[in-house]
Amino acid sequence: MLIIEHLTKTYGEKKAVDDLSLHIRPGEIFGFIGHNGAGKSTTLKSAVGILAFDEGRITICGKNLADEPLSCKRDLAYIPDNPDLYEFMSGIKYLNFIADVFGIPADVRQERIRRYADLFELTGDLAQPISAYSHGMKQKLAVISAWLHDPKLIIMDEPFVGLDPKASHLLKEMMREHCDRGGAIFFSTHVLEVAEKLCDKVAIIKQGRLVKVGTMEEVKGDDSLEEVFLELEAE
Amino acid sequence: MLKFLLKKQIAEVFRSYFYDAKKNKMRSRLAVAGWIVFFVVVMVGVLGGMFTALSLSLCGALAGAGMGWLYFLLMGGIAILLGAFGSVFNTYSGLYLAKDNDLLLSLPIPVKTIMAARLLNVYLMGAMYASVVLLPALIVSWIVMGATAARAICGLLLLLIATLIVLLLSCLLGWVVAKISLRLKNKSFITVLVALVFIAAYYFFYFKANDLIRDLLLNADAYGAKIKGAAYGLYLFGRIGEGSWSATALFLAVTALIAALIWRVMSRSFLKIATSSGSTEKVRYVEKAVKAKNAFRALLGKELGRFTSSANYMLNCGLGVLLIPASGVLLLIKGREICSLLGGVFASRPGAAAVLLCTALFMLSSMNDMAAPSVSLEGRSLWIPQSLPVSPQTVLRAKAAVQLLLTAIPMLFAAVCAALVAEESLAVRLLLVLLPLVYAAFQAMFGSFLGVKMPVLSWTDETAPIKQSGSVAIVIFGGWGFSVVFAGLYLLIGYRLGAALYLSLWTLVYAAAALLLLRWLDVKGSRLFAEL
Repeated sequence: MLIIEHLTKTYGEKKAVDDLSLHIRPGEIFGFIGHNGAGKSTTLKSAVGILAFDEGRITICGKNLADEPLSCKRDLAYIPDNPDLYEFMSGIKYLNFIADVFGIPADVRQERIRRYADLFELTGDLAQPISAYSHGMKQKLAVISAWLHDPKLIIMDEPFVGLDPKASHLLKEMMREHCDRGGAIFFSTHVLEVAEKLCDKVAIIKQGRLVKVGTMEEVKGDDSLEEVFLELEAE
Repeated sequence: MLKFLLKKQIAEVFRSYFYDAKKNKMRSRLAVAGWIVFFVVVMVGVLGGMFTALSLSLCGALAGAGMGWLYFLLMGGIAILLGAFGSVFNTYSGLYLAKDNDLLLSLPIPVKTIMAARLLNVYLMGAMYASVVLLPALIVSWIVMGATAARAICGLLLLLIATLIVLLLSCLLGWVVAKISLRLKNKSFITVLVALVFIAAYYFFYFKANDLIRDLLLNADAYGAKIKGAAYGLYLFGRIGEGSWSATALFLAVTALIAALIWRVMSRSFLKIATSSGSTEKVRYVEKAVKAKNAFRALLGKELGRFTSSANYMLNCGLGVLLIPASGVLLLIKGREICSLLGGVFASRPGAAAVLLCTALFMLSSMNDMAAPSVSLEGRSLWIPQSLPVSPQTVLRAKAAVQLLLTAIPMLFAAVCAALVAEESLAVRLLLVLLPLVYAAFQAMFGSFLGVKMPVLSWTDETAPIKQSGSVAIVIFGGWGFSVVFAGLYLLIGYRLGAALYLSLWTLVYAAAALLLLRWLDVKGSRLFAEL
């Protein structure tokens, strides 16, 4: 679903991501962990096509991101670390805008908006301007917009930040369900307990380099993910 | 603390002069010097020059008639109007809508210090506009009337008082706009409406300026006596420039008193207004049938939505939407009279009336510049168009299309009106319709081009991209420049070609330039946008 090969991205003198390779297969929830500034967001933004990279190759659903960016973007959805949405729009206008861009037929989008907005208890607020939303409401709207076009691959940067416990639980269920239907999820998080319980595979990045990757069992063994992570950070 | 906050705000206003956001590094000294020279030329050379000419025409006559105070009253009044007009919306958006209000309020900084820093910023902006009028006026007065110590000191104090009055008016109006905004649903439209009343009054006086000045000079004694009798305060205001110590002391005291009062009112409500999201009734969502749109139309709708949601954006970048059709109506009423007048003045330049009508339409077209700040306004939401399956070309074309639509449609009406009243051949009349439309297309592409070349993405107050960015300044002044070159060339040598050929050539030039810029946007501009 998503193959990252030898990805390198430099900001001035600093290598934010250094020769990173990952393979995310259909049905996998893939967690990406690392301390602040380790290169997680840079990797995610590169995989989505927001950030141009210096070296490497990114393949999404068999298509090279550099050669077919629009086709790749049609197959994925992205939620950034901070839901900076169009504040001048109402929630429903934003969702319809996203649906229009992805070419979702009117009846299909209405059914999906109804379903997801009800799930996140956001239906009553859809007519409100986004500028009046709380951080959590914006995050819920970003999640709904990501699921709206039924993407194959969902890439999320810290998706649980700002969500209330109920919405967090719901999102975890939706992630599992999405992967059970053959989709894939690649997300970064600092909440190691969530990663440990939710992820099929995990990768740990440090100073732009991949230091450990594999199934959850392979990475943590008999320890907790937190212990492994802290150990690797101390090295 | 105040110093740091003020430095932060001024740095934001002038950031694009020192920092190249595209290259993510500071500009070279040469580039910084170039930008500063450009700014100085516009403020001192163009605006300052204009008001120096006005001062020269008034000062000698009024001072000669012993009415120097009336001269200072007039110039001070213009300075206050220009300064307040230029900064009223800065106060509202800069004081209450700044995106870093929450951050600053959470820091151990007294609320009054935050407010003072914001107001100092408004003061400096207002003072800049007011000084462009009053400084030349003072210098001219010192040359014409003689520069005594009293005149020099009181003159400078007049400048200080005028700039303080600008701040007070801006605060008062900004506060009123803020209070209204908290209670209204369609606040952006209502704010625009209120502002348009001010603008209409401004243009009414602007267009009547020559008649008013002539009338004033002829009846200076009568007006002077009336003002002295009915509005003695205004007389005293004018006396400050003449070097009256008592008038200066009185005005300083009154201004300080009003300032203290306004400060008290504003500081009481600042926290409430700055942290309020409005007390309008919550709109309940009711599911309605929707019609799917293609990506381009969705993006176009998004851009139109952004434009109509911000009074600041509409007022600063879209006045042409109303003024262009208004000019069409004016042409239908007074057009033939204007054409015959122009024909008489430029009798040795046949076709000049048509070319000058076209120039006027160009200038009105330049009042629409919504494409220039459009990329910058994406700000932190830039990830949305960049991560969606839409090409950068489509995004940029939608941005240009908004300006094109909002200019070309009213322009078609105005240009047809111009063609109807112009006493020219059919070919010239047809070109009078075609050329302004082509020019509107060129302006839309030019604005989009500069928008991509000079983006300001890291702003906390939308005034920065809308009003204070380099791209907007170049589009506005560039538009005036294109118009002046177009008219000037005709009056100098172009008339030899005849109006039809001259207008045809420019139609080709602007069409070619618009197409070249469109091609640039599709190729290089798209690449730059994707890399932002």
